[in-house]
This record gives sequence, C-alpha cells and structure tokens, in this order.
Amino acid sequence: MLHLLRVEWLKIKNYRTFWILLAMTILSIPGLSYLIYDLMNNSFPKQKGVQNVVGSPFAFPDVWQTVSWNSSMLFITPAILIITLTTNEFTFKTHRQNIIDGWSRRQFLSVKLVELVMLAVVCTIVVFVTVLVFGCIGNKVAPGQSIWQDSRFIFFYFVQLLSYSTIAFLMALLIRRSGLAIGAFLIYMLAENIIVGIGRHRFKLDGVDYLPEEVTDRLIPQPYLHRIFESSADQLRWEQHVPVYLAVALVYLVVYYLVTDRRITKSDL
Amino acid sequence: MTILSIRSISKFYGRIRALHEVSFDVPPASVFGVLGPNGSGKTTLLGIVMDVLKASGGSYSWFGEAPSEKQRQQIGTLLETPNFYHYLSGEQNLRITAAIKGKGEADIPRVLEMVKLTERKHSKFSTYSLGMKQRLALAACLLGDPQVLVFDEPTNGLDPVGIAETRELIKELSGAGKTVLLASHLLDEVEKVCTHVAILQRGVLLTAGPVNEVLRDEEFIEVGAGPSELVALQVLLKGLTDVKQVQVKEDHVQLYFHGVGMDPAAINRFCFENGVVLTHLQLRKKSLETKFMELTK
Repeated sequence: MLHLLRVEWLKIKNYRTFWILLAMTILSIPGLSYLIYDLMNNSFPKQKGVQNVVGSPFAFPDVWQTVSWNSSMLFITPAILIITLTTNEFTFKTHRQNIIDGWSRRQFLSVKLVELVMLAVVCTIVVFVTVLVFGCIGNKVAPGQSIWQDSRFIFFYFVQLLSYSTIAFLMALLIRRSGLAIGAFLIYMLAENIIVGIGRHRFKLDGVDYLPEEVTDRLIPQPYLHRIFESSADQLRWEQHVPVYLAVALVYLVVYYLVTDRRITKSDL
Repeated sequence: MTILSIRSISKFYGRIRALHEVSFDVPPASVFGVLGPNGSGKTTLLGIVMDVLKASGGSYSWFGEAPSEKQRQQIGTLLETPNFYHYLSGEQNLRITAAIKGKGEADIPRVLEMVKLTERKHSKFSTYSLGMKQRLALAACLLGDPQVLVFDEPTNGLDPVGIAETRELIKELSGAGKTVLLASHLLDEVEKVCTHVAILQRGVLLTAGPVNEVLRDEEFIEVGAGPSELVALQVLLKGLTDVKQVQVKEDHVQLYFHGVGMDPAAINRFCFENGVVLTHLQLRKKSLETKFMELTK
C-alpha cells in the first residue's frame, strides 16, 4: 500500500488545485466555528437569560457536539476534493494508463479509498484540535467532570464525513465528469433533505431517518437551543438509537464499497 | 515461448460485435503488426490484453501464464492516445510511470533523450504539441528497457521526420531482440517494419502469419490475343501446369500461378505452337495496396 500511496503522492504533490481545496477544507473547520462563536459572544447583547436558553455550546462538554455539528456542514469541500481527484483520472484517461502500466484494477480502487479515509482522518484531527482550543478558552470544567465527556461526537463526525465522502466518490466513479458529479452530489443532498422533511412531518414516516445521509446526520443532533426544544425523552430516544444509526451507516459503507468494487473490476475502463 | 497467445477473443458493445473469436500467437523477437482499417477492432483487442477492457468471451495469456498486473509492468504500452496528467511536467509524469512499473527513476533521462524531449522535460504536459505528447508516450514505453512493447498507432500525430524516426526506433528495438506488437491502419507501416501480421476486418481475423507469406507481392502474367481467339486462349491456358487461376478481362487474360510462376517466353512458345498468336504478353505485380484492399473488402 505504501508503494501505491507514493504514486498518489506524486500525482498530487505538484497539483495546486489539490492544495487549495485541502487548505480550504482544513481552514474552514475552525473558521466556521469561530464565526459562530464570535456571533454568539459579541453580536448579541449580553443578558442573563441567554445563558439559560442556549447553554454554553462552546464549553466542555457541549463543545464536542457543537464543533462536530458545525464542521459536519462543511462536507462539500472534501467532497469536491475527492470528486476532482477521481474524475481527473477519467478526464486524462490515466485510470486506464495506471492499469496498463502495471496496477491491478483493485489496487487503483483501494488506494483511492485509502486516500478518502486519510482525508477524513485529517479533517477529524482538525475538528479534535478545534474542540480542544474552544473548550479550553471557553470556560473552566466543572469539578468532577472530564473534558473527554461526549468526545464520542468526534467519532460520529468521522463516520458522517466518511459516509458523505464515499457517496461523493461513488458519484465521481459512476458519472466520471467533475462538474456533473459535483452537481449530482449536491442535488442528491438536497433531494434527500426534502424527502426527509416531507416524509417525517407530513407522512410521519420514521423510515426516512435511515436514508444514506440522514442516518449519519442524526448521529450529531443540532447543538443549539436543544435545551428548550428537546425533552429528556427525546434525549433518551436518541441515546438508544445511536448504535442503530452506526450500524446502518456501516451497512451503507459496505454497500458503497461493493458497488465501487464491481464498477472498477468488472466493467470496461 | 509464445509472448502473447490470444484464444477466441470476442467483444460485444451491446449488439455491436467489435471482435469475433480472434485467435493468434505472437512469437518472441517478432515485430507483430495488427493491421486493419479504422474501426476494425485493433484497439479493442489491445485494450483487452492490457486489461482495460473486458472480453465477452475467449482468453489470452502473456508469456504462457494467466494475465496479471506484474506482467504488464514488464511491457511498455502505448494505447490509443498518450494518457498523462496535464498539470504535471513530462518528467514528473514519467516518475509516476516509473513508480507504477516498479522501475527506478534513473532511466528517465535516457528515455527523454531517446525521444528528444530533454529540453522540454520541465514543461507541463498540457503545453506539449500532439507530436511531443506522442513522443512522451513512447518514452514512457521505453522506461526500464522492457523486452515487450505494445504500440497502438505509434506514428499518430507525428510529422514525417517523427514518423521515420519512430519506424527506425521500432527496427532498432527489433534488432535488439525485443518483441513489438504494433497496431496500424497503415499498410506501408506494417510492410516496412513488421515480421508478422494479423489482418482484422470488422472484428474478424482474416489472416495471420509472417509478412512475406501474407502480404507477398503476387506476380501474374497478362496475355492478349485477337478478339476471335480470346476464348480459345483461355481454354488453352487452363491446360498449363501450375496455373492457379485464369481471369478473363475485356481484351486480355490474367494468369496466376502456384509457386514461382512461369517464364513468359515459355508461355509465348506454348501458345504459338498451339495455334494462338499473342498480341500482348506482360509480367506484372499486384501491388500490396490492391492485395490489402482485396483482403479487407
């Protein structure tokens, strides 16, 4: 695998678009959280009641959920990065050349998937550092409370990003053109949100919770104002469903893998 | 040991049949031409043996073994068009090829020099002319000095000097004992550089074998007599030994022989002795172009 990764490194090392997109991906994570932090702390008149409504989303332990949720809205730049790197191969026909020169089809696929996971790991590390920075400047940890409480949201963020990224990769692999693949990815996001909205509120369908993106979205509930909109029963229900959401997300990942593997190994390139 | 053995390979694109049960063997140290008009299935066939296309039926083996990526690392291949990363320089692209092939980068300057791209090695691939792109693809094929090379229309996009140089290069490679598999729609190219040829037409293999057997210049003799004697001449000529075919044209008869043929003087004497006076007698050669056109008609 290291040998395969070395070839990928040669492909991206001098590719400016890659570095710009990567920088945007990495910088936008603390950037967006800072923007919201700044908005909450400096743009509203400080009144005593506010604290009771929103709580302290940027203090431990809530900061884990807050930064993870903020960052999860930024799935689009890593998706564009993955789509660009994948469709480039089709545009330049280098996917064929890599095979001709001596890679197996599965090697071509596996190194792309490893790159995708590596990107998700990098983003997760950035989120982790961002959490620690905000948490530490936010406020003091209450006695007897660990700063690691609720750190599982970092893992949920990783699962969610992995899931979104794999969908983007699948689109790139099936559509092969960067513009169309990015378009299809965005349209799918939008379509699923609409289906979930209509399904849940109009038809009271619980099944929509398990659609490919919604199921990972549900891993990280919206962190603001949850004190007034969520009852402790909701909280308990969510807690019970987390393992199910994770299991379903995993099933989707396996399905995505099987589809990409079939596409690459069985068809004409 | 056979370098490449192709057995009954077929390929369908939906209902379109691109290849139909094609079989042939590429012997070692040969320059094997796959000749055929555009759309005859040459690139499809090469795509299948390089594993970028999947055959609908049949099988192939390299070096007598089942196909694997390790074998492809030992083969220099230029398929269809030069495929490189547009945003990288020629040299950076060759580093990728070398890394995939498991060869060191030390060979890169040599191959760049061979295709005369040393001066432009730092320029981005996207700034290269068509001919330069083709030459970079040739350089990538030559990396690591492979024993087997596969070229699909290698002179595409090259100027006359480039074409001559490429043919010279193929001859040099052949002289060095390497096996070259060359697809071309140019008869002249195949005739000039190949030792063996397979002719494809609409996905069907018409013939395969050594060039001097398949594309041998065919000699024939044209014989003419007075209009009233033409029929008698035709009957008479059929009685000659070794005659393969007698074709009657408007005002003359064409005689084809098995083997080396017949001395025109002997034919003249034979006809005169049998009461037919010839008005026209000529030894002619059928051009390769005509032969190729006939084969692929």
